[in-house]
Amino acid sequence: MGTISRKLGLQLTGLVCAVSAALVTAAAVAATSGAPVRVGGTLALTGPLAPTGLIHKIVGEIYVEQANKRDGFLGRPVEWVLLDDQSKADLARSLYEKLVTVDRVDLLLGPYATGGILSAMAVAERHGKLLIHNTLGIPKLAKYERQIPVYSIGAVPEQTLPATLFDALAANGKTPKTVAFVTSKFPSVHFMSVGARETAKKRGINEALWLEFEFGTRDFGPIAARIREANADFLWVGSIGLEGNQLLEALKKLDYAPKNPFFLYPSPGPLAQSPDAANALSMTLFEDHAPFTNTPQATEFARLYRERAGKAGITYLDADMQAAVAYAAWQTLEAAVTATRSLDDAKLAQWLRANRVDTLIGKLRFDGAGNYGDDLQKIKQVQAGRWITVWPREFAPPGARMNLQ
Amino acid sequence: MRPANVQARPVPGQRPAGRIGAAVAVLVALACLPLAHPPAFFESFLYLVFLWVALATSWTILSGYSGYFSFGHGAFFGVGVYTTATLTTAAEMPFLATLPLAGLASMLLGVGIGAVVFRVRRLRGELFALLTLAITFVLATIALNTPIDGGPGVFLSGVSLPRLYATPASTLYLMALLVAALALALAWQLQYSRVGRALFAIADDEDVAEVMGVPTFSYKLRAIGLSAGLAGIAGGIHAVFVTYVTVSETFSITVPLYVVLMSVMGGMRRWYGPALGAIVVTALTYAFVGGEWALAGRALIGLTLILVILFLPQGFAGSMSSLRARWQPRAARPAMPVAHVAPRPSTASDAVSGVGSDGAGAPFLRCEAIHMAFKGVKALDGVSLEVRAGEILGLVGPNGSGKSTLVNVITGLLHPTAGQVLLDGIDLARLPAHRAARAGIARTYQIPRPFARLSVLENVALPAMFGGLQLAPAEALERAREALAFVGLLDRAADLPSMLNLHQRKFLELARALAIRPRVVLLDEVLAGLTPAEIDSAIAMVRSIRDAGTTILFIEHNMRAVLALTDRLIVLNQGRVIAQGRPADVVREPQVIEAYLGTAAC
Repeated sequence: MGTISRKLGLQLTGLVCAVSAALVTAAAVAATSGAPVRVGGTLALTGPLAPTGLIHKIVGEIYVEQANKRDGFLGRPVEWVLLDDQSKADLARSLYEKLVTVDRVDLLLGPYATGGILSAMAVAERHGKLLIHNTLGIPKLAKYERQIPVYSIGAVPEQTLPATLFDALAANGKTPKTVAFVTSKFPSVHFMSVGARETAKKRGINEALWLEFEFGTRDFGPIAARIREANADFLWVGSIGLEGNQLLEALKKLDYAPKNPFFLYPSPGPLAQSPDAANALSMTLFEDHAPFTNTPQATEFARLYRERAGKAGITYLDADMQAAVAYAAWQTLEAAVTATRSLDDAKLAQWLRANRVDTLIGKLRFDGAGNYGDDLQKIKQVQAGRWITVWPREFAPPGARMNLQ
Repeated sequence: MRPANVQARPVPGQRPAGRIGAAVAVLVALACLPLAHPPAFFESFLYLVFLWVALATSWTILSGYSGYFSFGHGAFFGVGVYTTATLTTAAEMPFLATLPLAGLASMLLGVGIGAVVFRVRRLRGELFALLTLAITFVLATIALNTPIDGGPGVFLSGVSLPRLYATPASTLYLMALLVAALALALAWQLQYSRVGRALFAIADDEDVAEVMGVPTFSYKLRAIGLSAGLAGIAGGIHAVFVTYVTVSETFSITVPLYVVLMSVMGGMRRWYGPALGAIVVTALTYAFVGGEWALAGRALIGLTLILVILFLPQGFAGSMSSLRARWQPRAARPAMPVAHVAPRPSTASDAVSGVGSDGAGAPFLRCEAIHMAFKGVKALDGVSLEVRAGEILGLVGPNGSGKSTLVNVITGLLHPTAGQVLLDGIDLARLPAHRAARAGIARTYQIPRPFARLSVLENVALPAMFGGLQLAPAEALERAREALAFVGLLDRAADLPSMLNLHQRKFLELARALAIRPRVVLLDEVLAGLTPAEIDSAIAMVRSIRDAGTTILFIEHNMRAVLALTDRLIVLNQGRVIAQGRPADVVREPQVIEAYLGTAAC
């Protein structure tokens, strides 16, 4: 008898818990009603770009949850129609066709990476849709008037980023006399490296080395040997993903530590956690520290990201630039919808081109050439296994400074 | 005895012509689809289906049909992509005008590769696959380090498309449909043509195909040229579809891997097999694009491939054909109106003339001072002999004496280090093997080497098409039936060679040799492994072949058969002729006895 009572008690407790949970959930979504606002987009959830695609997916899920806990979009719940483009630009194109013509989503968000974004942009243009995107690496390729680049690197990042970088070195009294450039021929990387080379030339910095390697190179031994031979004051590494780590390993085998290495688009976790990458430099728009995280929204975002990323098996848990630009894209979309009280693509695009939007990565504008605004890129550095913003100084956390040789 | 069903497998000259109308109707219906204004996604989805149909089908024209497994399709595709990308942007050429050039550029690349690689016998199988893959990477490097790309990629957003339909998406859809239809039509045409048969034979045993008269080199060049050209056109269209072209995505491993996957899944030796694979893989790709299903979708494609390889090794198309053949009742075939007499030589002028009392006529095939060395080891050392019209010339010798090497030299498979093989005064010694076959020289193999994946009938029809007779496919089939009837295998015509026993496979070899109505046939140990009763029937058959006027070079160890059959006998030892003359005399010569038995110890 006692056993039956205990079992009944447990069942009742479970029932109460379930009902309570349902009520809480219902309360959470009670703020929104009506047909959902459907936001469509693709991400590289499989294929070679999937590690970064996963970051964007986690952030999107966080944002949609947060939006629905508030008021959704225009009081309607937000539904994210996310498709996997498998890291293929041609698939991205047809999936955006699907989102627009079959799924009939209300709004679009861009995919990850330049090739996919350009494919999606062509579809958006054919259908007159607004396309907010966040990782287009070559701004001059964006020709469509209703494309909105949240990745705020300015219209000519190949000039402005190297300028920021060399300014940072100069401000710290370490203007290099010689610079060695090694760069992948990955399109968005190579384009930036060429710009950096020209900037260095204009500033009178001697070029000790210019070396190109193919995307997909695994053996960095010969490249490392040339870098050691050049022994420049500053090393520009036009790399993407794990190339930077592989180069550092090759340099270590030669027992050579480059002076002041800068890595363009590294995999943030592996490079920050590499014992050979102390004081390595890179570019950023957001890092998980003050002053970026000074607002409650940013703090909450960083906390949630850390929590979700850990569950997803990501090893570097700090919310960094990729996570932040993904969030900023959603912020931009919501800001336009809220301000215009509309889902009309033309109105949204017009409003965005005329107004500024507050996001995690700064106050964005889209009224310049190619709808680009300011270059908000900053310089970050690996310090104690974390990325710390070190330039401009007002974005560095208290007490942090740039360590240079 | 099983009734013959020689229609069970597709054979040359027997195209299912009634289906052409249906195919054209489907093509027209698909071409008109944009008029119904479907959602753009469907056009976009179907575009990718047709793109992969075109690529996979073009791949199979080379690799499925001829067996040259290529990983270079990415190179041909990439050349097409960059030809269009460069010409439309740098040269501002109209898009449509670039497509033939894209196809041509890829075709020239393919033919160029083939012209070098196909001459080297060892570059087959995995070496060919690796070589073609390496070429892809070489081309990627060239594109990346020259103004063709240079690194930043090529952006084609400004390229204007011809307005075949209201929207660019519809136009691209139509173009992909047309190139897919072209690829399928060519694959279909090839499969049922003599060229297709030749390519299938090359896939099964290239050397044998060449010896049976197939000009393997030129046919392989045709296959790779066609395959590459189609891939190039597809690439040219795709450049505009993606609008932004980069080296890393264009010359990636994706294209070759996908076309192999699709072709294996669909069936590589059927014209429609790769298309089935392309449809299934593309549909699966789209079936699981939902964010929650992404990984599961990829896993499912992998699992499907594993299951197909395990349970449908011939792919969907091959398995469908097998099932159809199993379900269709084997129609009892009326007896062929074929006289069971030996086929005669192909032309009247080849008929035996001036045959003497010993059954032999004037010499018409002469080997003069043939030398053959392999890395310094002499296999033939100045062999001279003549074959007279209408005779059975025996060729014997201990193992390693050079008999098979001599047969390979006479049939053109090996080119001698020195010496001549004269047939009617023409030296065949340095001509490709198929020229010897076309001149009327046929052979059998000591260990039967049938084309494993061709039916018994197709095995015999092939030399009739390509050997001395050069028959049209339909005539070749009739000729093959005659030859099979002669050797008693007509009822097995629809079977695969693996279903025959050794005795029957030996006779299949004989039927293949006779199918060209040879002037001289080289029987290489045709009796080896047969029972005494089978040997007796074989001896009778060889005799009736000679009686019909065909000259025979009879290479054999069985001395009973040699003495019973041959008019003259030549003995080889250590690459030299040590005796020749009447068989009864030759076998008594001391050097012959010594060669076979060795010198008695003192």
